[in-house]
Amino acid sequence: MTARGTASRFLQGVLRNGVGRYVCQLKRLSLVFSRSGQSSLGVRGFIEEGVVDFAKKHPGTVVYVSPESCRIPKIVAEYLNGNVKEEVVTCKTAREIGDLVTKLANQSGLDIIRIRKPFHTDSPSIQGQWHPFTNRPPSVGPIRHGGREDK
Amino acid sequence: MASGFLLSRSVLSLGVHCQHVCRSVVFTQTREKKRWMKAYTLLMARKLKLEGPPPPKPRSQKPNWDYHAEVEAFSARLHEKFSLELLKTAFVNPCYIRSEEERRRGLGLDTEAAVLSLADNVELRTQGLDFARKFLTDWCMASFPSLPKEGVAAVVAYLTSSEVMCHVARNLGVEDLAMSADFPIPDDVLHGTFCAVLGALEQSSGPERTSFFLRDFLVPQLIGKDLFDLWVVVNPMGLLVEEMTRRGTALPEPRLIRSAGASTALPLYFVGLYSDKKLLAEGPGETVLAAEEEAARVALRKLYSFTENRRPSDFSPPRLQTPEQCAQAMSSS
Repeated sequence: MTARGTASRFLQGVLRNGVGRYVCQLKRLSLVFSRSGQSSLGVRGFIEEGVVDFAKKHPGTVVYVSPESCRIPKIVAEYLNGNVKEEVVTCKTAREIGDLVTKLANQSGLDIIRIRKPFHTDSPSIQGQWHPFTNRPPSVGPIRHGGREDK
Repeated sequence: MASGFLLSRSVLSLGVHCQHVCRSVVFTQTREKKRWMKAYTLLMARKLKLEGPPPPKPRSQKPNWDYHAEVEAFSARLHEKFSLELLKTAFVNPCYIRSEEERRRGLGLDTEAAVLSLADNVELRTQGLDFARKFLTDWCMASFPSLPKEGVAAVVAYLTSSEVMCHVARNLGVEDLAMSADFPIPDDVLHGTFCAVLGALEQSSGPERTSFFLRDFLVPQLIGKDLFDLWVVVNPMGLLVEEMTRRGTALPEPRLIRSAGASTALPLYFVGLYSDKKLLAEGPGETVLAAEEEAARVALRKLYSFTENRRPSDFSPPRLQTPEQCAQAMSSS
């Protein structure tokens, strides 16, 4: 599909995050995995090694560990703006999962779609909206004393 | 899996090979392609079309929810030290207590057992809203010293309005934690809850931290806003004349500076406002009157220093006083 047909948005942040203070946007992280499944080996390793460190490092994120009987282990990340993101972590190693979780914690939760420009401003034009006198010498179109336009 | 296997074994041993998955879908026990699946999926799709999507459920009724941990994380996320009891009280709305007691009575509990021993957030609400109004008024007067009282009141009313506060509260995760009678939470309840959170912060960490909180979360909502979007002024020229007489400068004189296409469908006039033969401001418009009004608005923005190119407000983090600095200050004084 062409670039015009895909969904896009402007570069933005949630609630002007970072203007005042920085707020980690990841509010909840659930690790869904199987107690005995082969595909959940990496998640179990991550829970043994890294999850406590992660929770200590990010006190604003609530981490839930829920063992269920499932074949496909996944990580469900919920963000402050209400978006929920599911990541399938089948057959990933503990280290890969650690990287993935850190990436989730650093994201803003906005949709990951094409960003139209790598910059954004609320007032896109510095010189203002175009009018017939833009970039014209001041001698064009002034009102004379007689009240008639200068040709 | 195991139970399903046992069930199928028992069904097979009884010699029954048909099962009803749904009212009109018969599930025949075979180890082949699941031919019943298509009928079942179509039926579910039709049900969804007829009944519509299910109503939204509050996050607290979904799996993985620990209220205490969530409240602690809320406080840690905002880098504030809330007293947790006060914060939990701030999330309890009176409508929730009423509906919960009614529900308990409906379940057959007697009146004494049905009463909830929860404090509601009415006091914290009024306290938080009063503090927010007071702080924002002070901040506005300090940032825009020449703005008149009506303008300050309009800016403060915009920042404490239900719309802006609910937008901030929704993006800070207050909606999940707030306890309300109905879901999705109505705007007025969410507004009250956010005010109560402010009140709880003021009681637990003092007015200074609360003012930094307000500055960091509410004041950035002003970025990119125009003064006259917040403050409805019907007659800007009259206000400008009033303002200039108060300052004792010469009254503004509107003059038509430029015009183009006066006889076409898209005429353009430029009106300049002169005071004491100096150009105050100029503004465009489709008619002369509209251009004059626009020029008056531009002049007012310049007088009140609320222009688009003003210096950004100060959002630097509060300076933490380390014990050494305190000791130095003590010794030097």
